[in-house]
Amino acid sequence: MRRLRSFLPLWFMLPASVIVTLFFVIPVFMTFAFSFTTMSSDTGVLGNRYIVSEATLLKLKELNIDPVLVASLGEIRFVFDDTNLKNISQLNLKPSLLKEINTKLKNKVFATEKKLYAALKTLKNRPRSFKDRKAISKATVSSMMNKEFLTADEFSQGLVSVGINLDAPAFNQLLELTNTSWHWTTDNYAELMASDFTLKILGNTLFYVFCTLFFNVGFALLLALATFYMPSGQSKIFRALWLIPRISPSVIYVLLWKWFTFDSGFMSHFLSSFGFTPQDWLKEFPWVFVILANGFVGASMGMLIFSSAIVAIPGDVLRAAEVDGAYPLQQIRRIILPLLAWPILFVTSYQTLSLLTSFEYILLLTDGGPGFFTTETWALNAYHTALSNYFGNLRYGFGATLAVVLVVVGIILSLLYLRLFDFKKLVTEPQIET
Amino acid sequence: MKIKQLTMAAIGAIFLAVPLAQAKDLDIVVWANADKNERYRFEAVKLAANVLNEELKIEGRDINVTVSAQSYVGSQAWAQLKQGFSLAVEAGKGPHIIVGGHEDIPVWGSAGLILPIEDYVDLEAWPFSDVFDSLWPIMSWNGQVWGVPQDAESRPFFGWNPHLKAIGYSDADIQALPAKIKSGAYTLQNVLEDAKKIQDKGLVEKGYGFYPRATKGGDYWQFYAAQKGGDMYDAESGKLILDQAALLGYYQFFNDAVFKYGVTKKNHLGMNWDQWYNEVANGKAGLWHGGTWHYARYTRKEGLTDFFDKVMFSLIPAAGSGGKATTLTHPLTYLISKQAEGDELEMAARLLTIVSEPRLNTLHAIASAHLGITNAQTKVSQYSDDRWTAEATALLQSAFALPNSVDFGQYDALVWKGLTAAWSGDLTPEKAVETVVAEIKATMADKVIVR
Repeated sequence: MRRLRSFLPLWFMLPASVIVTLFFVIPVFMTFAFSFTTMSSDTGVLGNRYIVSEATLLKLKELNIDPVLVASLGEIRFVFDDTNLKNISQLNLKPSLLKEINTKLKNKVFATEKKLYAALKTLKNRPRSFKDRKAISKATVSSMMNKEFLTADEFSQGLVSVGINLDAPAFNQLLELTNTSWHWTTDNYAELMASDFTLKILGNTLFYVFCTLFFNVGFALLLALATFYMPSGQSKIFRALWLIPRISPSVIYVLLWKWFTFDSGFMSHFLSSFGFTPQDWLKEFPWVFVILANGFVGASMGMLIFSSAIVAIPGDVLRAAEVDGAYPLQQIRRIILPLLAWPILFVTSYQTLSLLTSFEYILLLTDGGPGFFTTETWALNAYHTALSNYFGNLRYGFGATLAVVLVVVGIILSLLYLRLFDFKKLVTEPQIET
Repeated sequence: MKIKQLTMAAIGAIFLAVPLAQAKDLDIVVWANADKNERYRFEAVKLAANVLNEELKIEGRDINVTVSAQSYVGSQAWAQLKQGFSLAVEAGKGPHIIVGGHEDIPVWGSAGLILPIEDYVDLEAWPFSDVFDSLWPIMSWNGQVWGVPQDAESRPFFGWNPHLKAIGYSDADIQALPAKIKSGAYTLQNVLEDAKKIQDKGLVEKGYGFYPRATKGGDYWQFYAAQKGGDMYDAESGKLILDQAALLGYYQFFNDAVFKYGVTKKNHLGMNWDQWYNEVANGKAGLWHGGTWHYARYTRKEGLTDFFDKVMFSLIPAAGSGGKATTLTHPLTYLISKQAEGDELEMAARLLTIVSEPRLNTLHAIASAHLGITNAQTKVSQYSDDRWTAEATALLQSAFALPNSVDFGQYDALVWKGLTAAWSGDLTPEKAVETVVAEIKATMADKVIVR
């Protein structure tokens, strides 16, 4: 065969490469980077913020930092010195008030905002609005407490302005302790190793992926083979019916399962005539329904691929087998299945990866319950950690760590599959032209 | 001719429209978790905007404030609202005002997503000067006041009077029960025993004797707080506390309810709320716990018109000696996000001042059966004439609130996992405590004091 000697095909691949880079490669690298951070709802995602707050002071005390420093960091004073008076003069206050402040409050110092407000109240032309009082308070306050600094330079200037001078190591330590933003860490991986829940969730995931995959691929094959031997009209209807789980919105699909299984649902109703007490079957046997619900959705895709692959098998081969007296079961075993190796590899590896990472049906069905991590899989746990906390504290960094593990497992499994199904042999050009 | 007329009319219209268009429109966006009964969480802000616009007219400021609201409803509403807010504000697309839980203050405050409200409204002035004193610590974190209370509530223990009578309680006994519970004479142990009696008499089905809240919620911390030593927060170090004995008592109670007494269903958690409300409001459960706002649901949608004849309510009973009868209050709070700047910030703050007025807040209190936030409110006739709000407000004296701590979400998630394990029987209560403690020591050692 003659091959094209030009770079044109590469240009054709450009749009696909851009999309793969944007939506796969970059997210994977970003997830990898995030997994080495403490990012969470309380650190925020964006840059550094340095704040001295009550919590910081407690932390400093716990670390036995110089008590004099801690005390001066926590000090709040309202000072009417020349600089601050100049600040006040720029505040758009009434001239009469400014004049009075300049004469009556000059060089005064107040220990609390309350005392400052009390002093302002004694003025004849006192500020009537809260906004003006607050503005004066902000213009005169001399303190590090609860002030937001976005850069280390600003923070350093802030320290100097309240009369705190630190040497470089002490400054850097303080900088790190007052930073409310995220920082780099390997603790997430250490936490993953230390947590007792890791093994439990890993076990759940393996169980879920293996069982669902087995059901999924097996059932898809069964459907494809059964419909192949059916009259074509009937098989079309049958295949269309089995597509319903795939095309129905997941929320509705799961709702149907819930109606089917809950204690006054169809299943309880039906089984009660055989003497079974009505109960919430989904909560009684959560795995069964998680696997079935996922399996039926996945089976339809496998069915389509296998059906078309079977139809693509040259008719002569099957007819020859029939002439030789092969029963359908023998045809399946000796001809169809060997020729389906490539589609089976594709469906198996595709489904493994998608089962590893997809969790919406489990989320909607059981949300990882009932009980203690009963149906919590790795991907669902990553979602729970990074994006769903009852009290709103989402741990993006640790969630990313969980996701990185999934990516690594996914890549290892893909390589394993290629090895197992002998990918090279599958893609070699046929020896005989058909 | 016709064209000329039309052109003149159009020019006229433009000239007329110009002065109208000059007023600066400011749209203040409010996000809230609010079902139909709780619509005044944002509807009241819209009403407040009417007053604010009149005030602005008088001040001669050309600003016209409108309020757009987005409400979240359903079982996942809180998670969606909180996740949505965190991500939206970071992306610069968040609301100006959000109605959050008070426990959101440390998380969002630490991330810089919200602004400390004490810098923007005068807490010394009306109506904030009249807010119940007990609410301010709940609105505070790290030495600053971050939000203004949107509502208050408590989470009572309920009993179905006809069932209590059937197991031997007289009318006088039932009437005295809340006081007996408050004094600690009636304990959680008695709850299980009475639930068993109700069930054994065939008054309710198996698993309906004690019928807890349908899904996860802060309510469950009440059964920890009712234990001896059931503290959650150490103010001195600013760290969370996990008391192992109290935790064991808490887990043991639910494990006993399911396995020893059989009065609670093993698969109870995660059940459908509609079914739950319907059952408790129709005497299908013996004893249960819920929130003050449940009153609205029981008496309206579920049609329980003779609530006070049928239902007893009180604090959550103490857990034996050393424990205390208690109830959780979980006030929601109006918070201003960092998205609000300049005029928007000023208007948002002014809206929150107006919306906290007794009459406006009472709309929410009565419509949703929550409790009010100011002393004056208890004198507004719509509030004081309502028997439920009037009586339930008394529970607030014994109420506790969840701690405002950055680490609470993670700590709560772990303690909850232990409860689900002890409840379903996947782990014994002892083993569940051991697992949770080990996990907390492994992952949150520097944030939680385990004792």
